Amino acid sequence: MLGTLLFITLRQWRSHKLRVLLTTLSIALGVGVFFAIRTANAALLDSLKTTVEKLAGKATLQVTAGESGFPEQVLDTVRATPGVRLAEPVIEVIAQTGYADEGSLLVLGVDTTGDRQLRDYEFDPTQTEIADPLLYLAQPNSILLSHSFAARHGLKVGDTLPLYTADGHKEFVVRGLFQPTGIGEIFGGNIAAMDVYSAQVVFGRGRNFDRIDLTNSAGIPIEVVQQRLRAQLSPGIEVLRPEVRGEALENSVTAMRAGMTITSFVSLLVSVFIIFNSFSIAVNQRWKEIGVLRAAGVERRNILRMFLAEACLVALVGSALGIAGGFYLASGTARMMGSIAGAAYGVAASPEHAAFQVGLAVTSLLLGVAASLAGAWLPARAASRLDPVLALHNVESRQSEKVLGWGRVSAGAFVVTAGLLLIYFTSARGGLNAQFAYAGAVLLGLVLLLPKIVHLTARALRPLMDWAAGSEGALAMDAMIQSPRRSSATVGALMIGLMFAYSTAAYIQSYRQVIDRWMGQVLNADLFVAASPFMRSPSYHLSEELGRSIAALPGVKRVENIRLISVPYHGDAATLSAIEMDGFLARAADAIDGGLGSRARERLLYGEGVVASRNFAARWGMRVGDSVHLETPTGALELPIVGLLDDYRSEKGTLFVDRALFKSRWGDSAVDFVDVNLLPGADAAQVKREVRRLTANTRVFVYTNGEFKRWVSGLVDRFFMLNYMQLVIAVLVAMLGIMNTLLISVSERQRELGIVRAIGGLRSQVRKLVLLEAVAISIAGVLVGALAAVFNIAFLSHTVSGVLAGYYIPFYFPALLVVASVPVVAAGSLLAGWWPARRAARMQVIEAIGYE
Amino acid sequence: MIELTDVSKSYGAGGKVRALRNFSLKVAPGERLALMGPSGSGKTTVLNMICGLDQPTSGTVKVAGVALSDLSDDARTRLRREKIGMIFQTFNLLPTLTALENVALPLRLQGISRSEATRRACALLARTGLGDRATHRPDELSGGERQRVAIARALVFEPRLLLGDEPTGNLDSATGEEILCLLDDLYRERGCTVLMVTHDEIVARRCGRIVTMRDGQILKDKRSRRRITGTA
Repeated sequence: MLGTLLFITLRQWRSHKLRVLLTTLSIALGVGVFFAIRTANAALLDSLKTTVEKLAGKATLQVTAGESGFPEQVLDTVRATPGVRLAEPVIEVIAQTGYADEGSLLVLGVDTTGDRQLRDYEFDPTQTEIADPLLYLAQPNSILLSHSFAARHGLKVGDTLPLYTADGHKEFVVRGLFQPTGIGEIFGGNIAAMDVYSAQVVFGRGRNFDRIDLTNSAGIPIEVVQQRLRAQLSPGIEVLRPEVRGEALENSVTAMRAGMTITSFVSLLVSVFIIFNSFSIAVNQRWKEIGVLRAAGVERRNILRMFLAEACLVALVGSALGIAGGFYLASGTARMMGSIAGAAYGVAASPEHAAFQVGLAVTSLLLGVAASLAGAWLPARAASRLDPVLALHNVESRQSEKVLGWGRVSAGAFVVTAGLLLIYFTSARGGLNAQFAYAGAVLLGLVLLLPKIVHLTARALRPLMDWAAGSEGALAMDAMIQSPRRSSATVGALMIGLMFAYSTAAYIQSYRQVIDRWMGQVLNADLFVAASPFMRSPSYHLSEELGRSIAALPGVKRVENIRLISVPYHGDAATLSAIEMDGFLARAADAIDGGLGSRARERLLYGEGVVASRNFAARWGMRVGDSVHLETPTGALELPIVGLLDDYRSEKGTLFVDRALFKSRWGDSAVDFVDVNLLPGADAAQVKREVRRLTANTRVFVYTNGEFKRWVSGLVDRFFMLNYMQLVIAVLVAMLGIMNTLLISVSERQRELGIVRAIGGLRSQVRKLVLLEAVAISIAGVLVGALAAVFNIAFLSHTVSGVLAGYYIPFYFPALLVVASVPVVAAGSLLAGWWPARRAARMQVIEAIGYE
Repeated sequence: MIELTDVSKSYGAGGKVRALRNFSLKVAPGERLALMGPSGSGKTTVLNMICGLDQPTSGTVKVAGVALSDLSDDARTRLRREKIGMIFQTFNLLPTLTALENVALPLRLQGISRSEATRRACALLARTGLGDRATHRPDELSGGERQRVAIARALVFEPRLLLGDEPTGNLDSATGEEILCLLDDLYRERGCTVLMVTHDEIVARRCGRIVTMRDGQILKDKRSRRRITGTA
């Protein structure tokens, strides 16, 4: 029987092509965005993993010490450890080339004599004069390039490559090209190799290495070698398998990936509403047909199955289209995520091509089908419960929708309240998934309340519309009052889209305000000199010498050299800010909770204590007085927390230690930022020019306080850029929903509109009527979107931010944005309503009146 | 008032279905005419031509001296809302509007103020005996009441021509009789031209002239013995 019923359904599709098309498209968009984001997410992880694995070559273990590196002597210790067959030092730098249109180049500093045994360099025999070009690298200013990079810039052996080093712009001679396989395919082919000792010099690493890659001797298990090395080396030096190091890198971009995952569900959620809407309409369109089928003996369950099977069919087609489209978008999305990961986290990932993942495609397909079934369930159930006598009766006798009962309203209010209470009273650390379930409950409650809200909004707007737009306004509102369920599905889709738009904007705005306040308190220098255009860069550093030169400039009161590195902490990571504590306390002591006593101040100055960021304390459940245990290249370090302050540089949390202590324990004297404080009356622009003159040949970034704030603001924008794009798509899907709703409204009200035309309504008046309904839907959407945003902003700024980053963002409601969005959303709705309105105006009156 | 000359109307691919064949009819102002005939004879097509909802394949249709084919869709719509009242078999009320709002709607569509439209609609509803049902929606009214609302809506803007398509077709005989009496009274009071499509001999006999159609052509055109005279 189901086959026959499906055949009838397919016949129905012929007469309602546009509805089917719009429904399919909404699923395609929802699934497409989901698939694109998840594929990009996977591509980013894959790229991180591949980069680590391919860079590791045959290495079975890697010795690292965070971003600070470790002294050369460690290599001797490693090589002398029994069970180590081969150990090779590595410097790894993401360098900027002198090409304006080129991104970064991953430069690998390797030992020319031994590295060949560890990594496969497949050299292009046509592009080298001797068998082993690695031997050339011992010569200074020599570099090997991947074939693809060289080809992009027309470089061949003997040509020079412009590269920014610690000492500024330098030219390197290309000594050989390796094939785009193995190591040559890392980082999208933007890879180069040079001598490790040259790399130390040109990238300011001093006598440190970043890493040692090693292999174990045959017959000695890796674990044994790992244990022996750990026993030999300082606790701050980690000995890890390459794959574990990959996982640590993955971990560093967790928050970004979690954010993307959350928003990837938004479009899918919006699709559910549109499908609900579409199927409600389908049921209405097939009202009489259902009556006939029921009268002819089709059971309720088969009517239900017929609609659900239709939902499955539409979902399969839509999801397949979505997966294809999503895959098309995935590579671009992955590149964008890679760029954000690099800018915000200093992570080397260049996911050039997103691989098609069958498992993910199947998941997306199933989610598409599930979303479609969820959306179609209620309309299908309503169809199966239709009274055949009523269904066969005249349209004027149809009962208005009975979904506005107080039972439903009470249930909605209860679910919203319960969700809010659970969010408020349960511990956020109990699990993000549980918190999301509570937030989902709030959303579900709002969905239950939607018809009532739409009904009340339409009732409230009716006199206003009647007064402002005449009978067309009243009729437009009547359409919503009569069918709150039809309108509420679209309003729901808009609610989701706008809720996320408002909350993201509010979150960003609030985040910005927090950052501004924080910068005012902590980053209050007059000039900032940075080694890289990013918040953190493990590749480029400044020297203390530069700091001294700047301090000698006229107008400069004081400079502070700051080193910002990521250090391992209890299996995770933390950011370490090594600062000149006296200067820091002079300008930022007020930012520390409750101020600092003289004893605490003393401890900090003598390197006997740390100041922790509040999110570090929240993440690890620590308070002032608790001890922080740090593993340094020179051994374990136990420091008490003497103060807490707000810091938003890192979601992992930040620890502030005295620079002298850092230099002695980490053996690292590099500088990432030089904060410059000027004498009263000194001209910041003039000093900035002087600093530029000092650093003329080097790649140094100098910002005034205002510029630095704008720069941070730009970083925040960049971080949220993908979210913005997704929200645009979610709102677009919602607009598609408005179009769908209005088409259905026009189709449902064909007879009504025909009557209006028959008794003297002009085409323009019918058009106006439909467009006014679109405007009313958008107003209702903005209202409930704003209401839902209130809950969501509270959830994001308190729970999500607290769990993912450990800090809380103050609640901020973007009232101006909500008001400003009304004309924008209304204009979008008018645009979406244009086609349905045109259709309504062009309908044949006789057919419309005879419709049914 | 109405003049149809050699009107033909074909439907379907290649015009296979011919609803009207060289149909000609003149109706004088104030005349009350019943159009009879079996289903498919073309009665409703004639009605649709006169109110400008449908256009002839050939021939001319004039209403109040104006050839409808010379008018744009908007002009035909304006003619309809200013000069032609329509009553349908299925009432065709807007289900979301109250009786009062339904009656006032043609006036509101003409741009008449809400207060004036309401005042006039109230008066006409009272005249049709529905003064106390003004705030009810169609699904809260009986069939007879609905048709009274439809009649009030058709007459609220004082049209010169009233068209009825089986106005009692959906009503029981007693209610149908009530509606016909109401129409008689209103016809007498207002004196507008009336053209009514009906299957019912009894309904037709209340009109001064009965035109019987078959296969898109006039079969008979005769005056009834019983006539109700209008004032115009």
